[in-house]
Amino acid sequence: MTGRRTREAWLLAMPVLLGLIGSGTVATAAAGRYTSANLVGVGSVVGVFLAMHIALRIRAPHADPYLLPIVATLIAVGLVELSRLSPSSAADQVLWVAVGGAVVIGFLVFLPDHHVLQNYTYLTGLAAVGLLIATMVFGTYVNGAKLWIPIGFGQSIQPGEFAKVLLVIFLAAYLRDRREVLAIPTTRMLGVPVPALRHLAPGLMFVGVALLTIVVLNDFGTALLFLGILLAMLYLATGRSAYPAIGFGLFAIGAVIVFMSVGRIQERVSAWLSPFDDTRGLGYQTVQSLYALGDGGVLGPGFGNGSLLRENGTTIIPELRTDFIFSAVGNELGYVGALAVLITFLLLIHRGFVIAAQANDGFSKLLAAGLTTIFAMQTFVIIGGIVRVVPLTGVTLPFMSYGGSSIVTNFAAVALLLIISERTRRPLVGAGS
Amino acid sequence: MNRSIQRLYVGIIVAFALLAGFLGWWQVVRASSLASRVDNPYLYESQRKIDRGRIITADGVVLARSVKVDGGGETKYRRVYPKGTLAPHVVGYASQQLGASGIEAAFTNFLGGDYGAQPLLQRIRGAKHGADVQLTVDSRVQQAAVDGLAKVGSPGAVVVIRPTTGAILAMASSPSFNLKDVATNYTSITKRTGSPLLNRATQSRQPPGSTFKVITASAAIQEGIATPSTQFLDNGSYVVNGIAIRNFGGRVFGRHDLRFALTNSVNTTFARLGVELGSDRLGARMDAFGFGERPPLTDLPPSEIQASGRFRGTTILSNSQRGEDVARMAIGQERVLATPLQMAMVAAAIANGGMLRQPYLVSRVRDRKGDLIRQVRPEELGQAIRSDVAADLSAMMLNVVNEGTGTAAALNGLQVAGKTGTAEISATSGNMAWFIGFAPANNPKVAVAVRIENTPLTGGVVAAPVAAAVMKAALEAAR
Repeated sequence: MTGRRTREAWLLAMPVLLGLIGSGTVATAAAGRYTSANLVGVGSVVGVFLAMHIALRIRAPHADPYLLPIVATLIAVGLVELSRLSPSSAADQVLWVAVGGAVVIGFLVFLPDHHVLQNYTYLTGLAAVGLLIATMVFGTYVNGAKLWIPIGFGQSIQPGEFAKVLLVIFLAAYLRDRREVLAIPTTRMLGVPVPALRHLAPGLMFVGVALLTIVVLNDFGTALLFLGILLAMLYLATGRSAYPAIGFGLFAIGAVIVFMSVGRIQERVSAWLSPFDDTRGLGYQTVQSLYALGDGGVLGPGFGNGSLLRENGTTIIPELRTDFIFSAVGNELGYVGALAVLITFLLLIHRGFVIAAQANDGFSKLLAAGLTTIFAMQTFVIIGGIVRVVPLTGVTLPFMSYGGSSIVTNFAAVALLLIISERTRRPLVGAGS
Repeated sequence: MNRSIQRLYVGIIVAFALLAGFLGWWQVVRASSLASRVDNPYLYESQRKIDRGRIITADGVVLARSVKVDGGGETKYRRVYPKGTLAPHVVGYASQQLGASGIEAAFTNFLGGDYGAQPLLQRIRGAKHGADVQLTVDSRVQQAAVDGLAKVGSPGAVVVIRPTTGAILAMASSPSFNLKDVATNYTSITKRTGSPLLNRATQSRQPPGSTFKVITASAAIQEGIATPSTQFLDNGSYVVNGIAIRNFGGRVFGRHDLRFALTNSVNTTFARLGVELGSDRLGARMDAFGFGERPPLTDLPPSEIQASGRFRGTTILSNSQRGEDVARMAIGQERVLATPLQMAMVAAAIANGGMLRQPYLVSRVRDRKGDLIRQVRPEELGQAIRSDVAADLSAMMLNVVNEGTGTAAALNGLQVAGKTGTAEISATSGNMAWFIGFAPANNPKVAVAVRIENTPLTGGVVAAPVAAAVMKAALEAAR
């Protein structure tokens, strides 16, 4: 089945071309005359993907051939945009992509079968909770939210990013064991048939933890993400839409209570509903981002030709490199480019769900669908916040936002998806040989 | 489980469609309304990405250029004005907060690089390099005008035209401002007395006083009512509409000819000529000189050019409107108002054998490679007066400077033709002192109009010396 890998290689040529043209456009715009692409930067990233491709050829030749080109496309667009905003950040990011690539190769080499993870169900669950508690204890406040733990050398990690993947692994294993009991209602709550409370307890606990996260870490985005993942996976496991309905209902009630008691959340909601009332204060980031999107228009001026930086090199929109990288892309590539990015994310999600649907066992299905849900939720929450579908919360845009924790975690998730697809499609041992 | 996966996927597709819809709402539907919001920095930012062209005087002095500012990876440009006080009203400013004025506004397409079919590569690059605009203004003549006005101190304006082409060699207005700080000190500049931002040369209408008599005289000779030697009798007063028109200083001149009347600015004689001509014939001559409509100086924004003519309040009337006091009009009072530009056009037309030329400020536009994009060809607007009438006027105006009210405009060894004017506005605000003229009288190379406002002095005393200095500079520059 080398056909799959050959197809992957051909598809990878497109993001390579995108990276070369993008990098060249950025360099040309900066210099004001024709300048060639940053061949060292593009070459490094191409090398990383080539290494992953070779590792796949050796360790997982039957794995999905579309995931890697899709990820490479997102990485290319993100890196080109980042290199134009801050060349040093882009250099950092290339390093993180290399680490991410190493993680993928590590997974392929050391985790040939993801089912092994089922043996550590509670360990992964505890690790996820532990990372969150560690953030609460050791974390430092950045922009009012407690997300980061400094690890020395001027670097920080964002344990919440890693916790997401661990949570999905835990839930996949936990729910596979209990999907039958959860699917059969034994009692009624508010007229809705629900399973016994002892089976629901972990779920309710997570809703509580999510709300607690908002208050203690002031991190609405991660809380929403965790809750969304939990409810989506509960629904996947049981096929009962009552779970997400009840879950979001409880969350809504909790959110209203938090809204009424925590001033910061009220500010966020008003910045969401009426950002133009306070364009210099609470609404500044949202409004400036909307201005940037509007300025991009339908086609945009192209990479490097927008106006996103002040003369001192800082970005006009706060957090442009991280949470708001999509606004930068929307500004420079216009609606067409932004839509293309959105569709690329949808392709990633599509492949994730295809892998989940084709998987042979419940654990694999839940794991693949859960990991895909992370990508979907995260993309929806941050882009939705930017275009004001939902309140703005600080989460990263997978593979595009600047940040090591996010990049490495997302590569790990892709590695798991690749392994699941490999296990699904690999011909039975002995069939051919 | 696959059914749940499918449903979740469908839900996510719906959510993404919502994102795509909202994104289109902001990027496409609401884009222009977002762009028009006052606190949107992008219009200003996108302008700063353009390397605007230079504005250069005829003698090569750079009045405006763009300097590259290294802004953390993005190339941006800052507009600098090396000689911010030399011709601020002509050059104008270009700023997001203030809008634009002058050449910066009228030639923004050329200066900003939005012209012609640019090479594809430049479009892909997105870097715009604007074209250079070369003015007809000569820095030496302009400097003389600025200095002359500064020496006088009162508000005023100077316009200098090359009669044979219509090229404006200088256009100055006082009080003035500095282009270097107009953006930062805008509010304080607008609060200063005398409205420094107003270009008096083209925007401010005032009674032209006796300078208007050249038009009355032109009309009378053109219509065959009089010749330079036609005899008149002045007894010091001429009653029109029950009120006597008297001569300046109450002088009585007795028997004299038209040449003498212009030389000594005899009000009664010109009032008589006005009545004899009537509204139709005097109005026709005003039409021919360009009164009644905005001068076709298309190199400045239309809002910065005002028409001269007959006014009722701020409403412009037809030049040949009946039922007006044509006698007082004939001596440049009553409801006649003129800008210095219009009066300079009158002087230039007489100097150019009666042919009125379209005034212009920009001679050529070149791109960065030096290739000519636009070359202005002088345009004729029409024969304002017959050439023989112009020759008569020229001789009479020469007399004004040689032995009449305009002797202060005389230049050593040169024949200067001119006419003074002093319109008394009120006892408190002082006079509008005018001088229009040209030199050398036999082969005119320069025509000028000078207006000094709020002065206790007459045109012959305060405006004529400024005109002399400016004409001297223009003739030296032409050498």
